[in-house]
Amino acid sequence: MIRNARKDTLIAYVLIAPFVAIYGLIFVYPTIDMFILSFKDAPLIAFGPQTAEWTGLDNYTRLPDDRRFGTAFWNTAYFVLLSVVPGTLVALAIALGITRLSGRLQSLVLALFFLPYILPVSVVYRIWDWTLNFQFGIAMHLFDTLGIDRVPIFKTSTWFMPAVAFVTIWWTCGFSILLFLAGLRAIPAEIYEAAELDNANRWTVFRKLTWPLLWPVTALVLTIQLILQLKIFDQVYLFSVGGRPNDNLVMVYYIYQRAFQNDDGGRAAAIAVVLFMIVIIVSVLNFQLLRLAERKT
Amino acid sequence: MKHLMGLALGATLATAAQAQETVVWWDFLSGGDGVRMKTLIDDFNAAHEGEITIDATTLEWGVPFYTKVQTSVAVGEAPDIMTYHASRIPLAVSQGVLQPITDADWEQMGLGQDDFAEATWNAVTVDGAQYAVPLDTHPIVLYYNRDLLEQAGRLSEDGTPMGLDSREGFEETLAALKDAGVPYPLASVTADGNFMYRTIYSLMGQQDGELLTDGEFLAGDNAEKLENALSLLQDWTTNEWQSTYTDYPATVALFTSGEAAMMINGVWEVPTMNDLAGEGRLFDWGAVELPVIFDHASTYADSHAFAIPANNGVDEGSAKRDAVLEVMSWISDNSLFWATAGHIPANAGVTASDEYSQMEPNATYSTLTSNMIFDPQSEFSGVAGPMFDVMSTYFVPTLNGEMDPAEAVEEIQYELNDM
Repeated sequence: MIRNARKDTLIAYVLIAPFVAIYGLIFVYPTIDMFILSFKDAPLIAFGPQTAEWTGLDNYTRLPDDRRFGTAFWNTAYFVLLSVVPGTLVALAIALGITRLSGRLQSLVLALFFLPYILPVSVVYRIWDWTLNFQFGIAMHLFDTLGIDRVPIFKTSTWFMPAVAFVTIWWTCGFSILLFLAGLRAIPAEIYEAAELDNANRWTVFRKLTWPLLWPVTALVLTIQLILQLKIFDQVYLFSVGGRPNDNLVMVYYIYQRAFQNDDGGRAAAIAVVLFMIVIIVSVLNFQLLRLAERKT
Repeated sequence: MKHLMGLALGATLATAAQAQETVVWWDFLSGGDGVRMKTLIDDFNAAHEGEITIDATTLEWGVPFYTKVQTSVAVGEAPDIMTYHASRIPLAVSQGVLQPITDADWEQMGLGQDDFAEATWNAVTVDGAQYAVPLDTHPIVLYYNRDLLEQAGRLSEDGTPMGLDSREGFEETLAALKDAGVPYPLASVTADGNFMYRTIYSLMGQQDGELLTDGEFLAGDNAEKLENALSLLQDWTTNEWQSTYTDYPATVALFTSGEAAMMINGVWEVPTMNDLAGEGRLFDWGAVELPVIFDHASTYADSHAFAIPANNGVDEGSAKRDAVLEVMSWISDNSLFWATAGHIPANAGVTASDEYSQMEPNATYSTLTSNMIFDPQSEFSGVAGPMFDVMSTYFVPTLNGEMDPAEAVEEIQYELNDM
């Protein structure tokens, strides 16, 4: 049978058309609109983007002098530093531990570590507020017993970001553990047997076998974590409402403030564009660097 | 009696409305308020059977509510009537979210400027036009535990705390309570600057301070007045007279459990106290106007009001408009029941009634109506607005003794003018 290439192409286009249409409508179009909005002095909604005045680069040029933008930028960087690598290492350590178990015990332990991941952020917030609340938190009673002074963890700028990073790692590392476990299971058992015959000790096995063979998964986990943590919002918002919001700002929180509280659609869009660029640059750079590292090992 | 009047009014208007109208209603009232509002709505529906039905939905308080309103107005899907905070009206007007309430509307409702306190009326007025019908005012008050005050020897004969007329007097009460072994003489929401804004703004008002003067925040000696208020509260922390890093629920818990002898909180906590007392689980309690710490009495208040969204087809002269106006005027006339939620009804006719004067503790603190101050009229004002966030960021460290009041004021001034 002779295939009609043109007909095939047509069918292909028809088949992908629904996806392209939806993707265009809910992703491409809003993205373009965001770029346009960022050059205007526009409110968030109402009769905004079409009629608002063009302001050129104003929304961008004011960012370097905008103190809240500075706070948001550095806090986001700090948070990424506190959560991405530590979170990945914790997940790796737990995954290594879990692989040593077997049968039902393994499933049980895995389920226990995965459990926090299925909780919605509001529940996570409640749990940790109950634990660390200055007046009634369970941990504070523990502090009292041990004779340590109570610490208002979510109300001081010193402890806020580390605490939120800790909670985030506790909450999300279940997913990374799953990825690591899948990676560990993909390593053939024969290699370990060979190493055992060569009398390699545990550390050497980890350093020379597990770590390099697991590297592609580690790189993936790091990239996913990086993108996710750059977009941090929910936890920071929930823990700082009523407290010291402007000290705890992160990028998405600042976008939210500008857009939904100040009704500055244009300025919010400009910050969103900056974040968009940062995420693209950082994640591409990160992935390339990690691939480079892979080739070396 | 009020009910009957409402019925009669409803009947007369209904002849004009002819067919049955459904009024779509949005509010942000949950908790104790919400239950009471539902009762009012049910009463309204029963009184207007076959004429008007309210179809009510309760949404999330704060930013979620106001964002949804804004979006719904933009696409013409707004409700026919909604609750609104008076403090958010300037922002709403600049966004084109609200329809003005016209003179004809006021006349049709049988309400007008004379029916409301001056401050409340001004709070819903922008450039000479009114954009909402005030339902209540909800100030903050001083709650107190009579048993503990008596133990400390600081309960006056009329059953209120001693020393409400000066800083020295009030501090004497605080010190006496501390000496009597009360862990926290005053429960303060020191972990939530949003909330403390209400207390601090009241203290500024007591010195005739203004937040916004001709478009500039904390102009002239207003910065100093804010600093005075912050220093005072920091002193109370240093002397261990108030609870530190306490969030809202914890504050209420400290007071109701007897760990704290007094508490500054909104009148909306009155139902909590009434319910606990009704179950016999609360001490002898009361609530009064805030103590005069500086020059004269002054209390922060906001107002729940009814507004008609723009772009929703509820045009002047339409049958739907008649129905919406009937809802607003009926609920205003029947707002005595709303007072059981602690709020002070905005309708002066209701607060002047005999029934109201016998309601406690409302009657005790209703004197503050003449000393109320509202948020400055600005797009940045209002509950859950940007001004709140700036204040909160510096109030929390200052009130807990981490930051110098002068430094906080400087930062607040910079950030407010940078919004």
